[in-house]
Amino acid sequence: MTAQMFFIAFFGLAAVWFGIAVFRTYSMVRSALALLFSQTALGAMFLSMQAEFLGVLQIMMMATEMSIMAIFMVMFMMDPGGLSTMDMIHQKRLSLLAGIVSFLAAVGVAVFVDWGPVEMIAPDPAQQTIALGLELLGRSMLIFETAGITILTSMIAAISVAIQPVKQNTVPTITGSNHHEH
Amino acid sequence: MSIDLLIALITGAALFGVGIYGALSQTNLVMIMMGVELILAGAMVNLVAFWRYLHPDNPAGQMFVLIIMTVMAIEMAVGFGVAIARFRAKGSVEMEEAVELKG
Repeated sequence: MTAQMFFIAFFGLAAVWFGIAVFRTYSMVRSALALLFSQTALGAMFLSMQAEFLGVLQIMMMATEMSIMAIFMVMFMMDPGGLSTMDMIHQKRLSLLAGIVSFLAAVGVAVFVDWGPVEMIAPDPAQQTIALGLELLGRSMLIFETAGITILTSMIAAISVAIQPVKQNTVPTITGSNHHEH
Repeated sequence: MSIDLLIALITGAALFGVGIYGALSQTNLVMIMMGVELILAGAMVNLVAFWRYLHPDNPAGQMFVLIIMTVMAIEMAVGFGVAIARFRAKGSVEMEEAVELKG
């Protein structure tokens, strides 16, 4: 086993471990942090696979995204600290079965498909970044621009959905413990 | 097949399975979104592995990863927009209570 293989397996295992931890804790803040660690482990796995640009991008983007998610968790959950150990799961057996079946199906595809010849030597990081930059501003420019416009549109849509005035006859009946006005 | 590629694909499969379990089993909208994030993370690992071990000279493989990251960001933005609207209207983001789409 090479050092590279060891680190890929280690960070892959860490990503899966923290992914499972997301749904095993009662504390929603811990869930958000576990997802942050899972995504960061994936970023480290990409770095181990010599995909430097994608690894750094993954870590930077997910650190920000999951921090925002943790804030929303505290805002919206009835019990963000998980003190009451309230069960927030439904159709557990069906979900577990669906998860296991999809895992086994994906592993089956991974193991039994002939993926063809494998290239063990990656281009060096500078070459990777140059090639990706040329790809983004060349052949894939339309896709890249469409992605940017789609993000902008979804941001505007999300804000306009969120700031709609609440109707008077549907005033919220807030029972959450994190609501401090009443 | 390379063992490194196999490890990456199995990691992707495991994240996909955990994400499916989370998205189906959780009752809270934000937790469901976390499940979807894990599903997309599983897809992303596979794409990076395919690019790295099968076609490292073709940067279009990395382009697909950027698309997945875009989808993740859009999912977060729209999901939180809906969560805020739902919380303001009903005071909760529990999906057990959402039996109709009317706001």
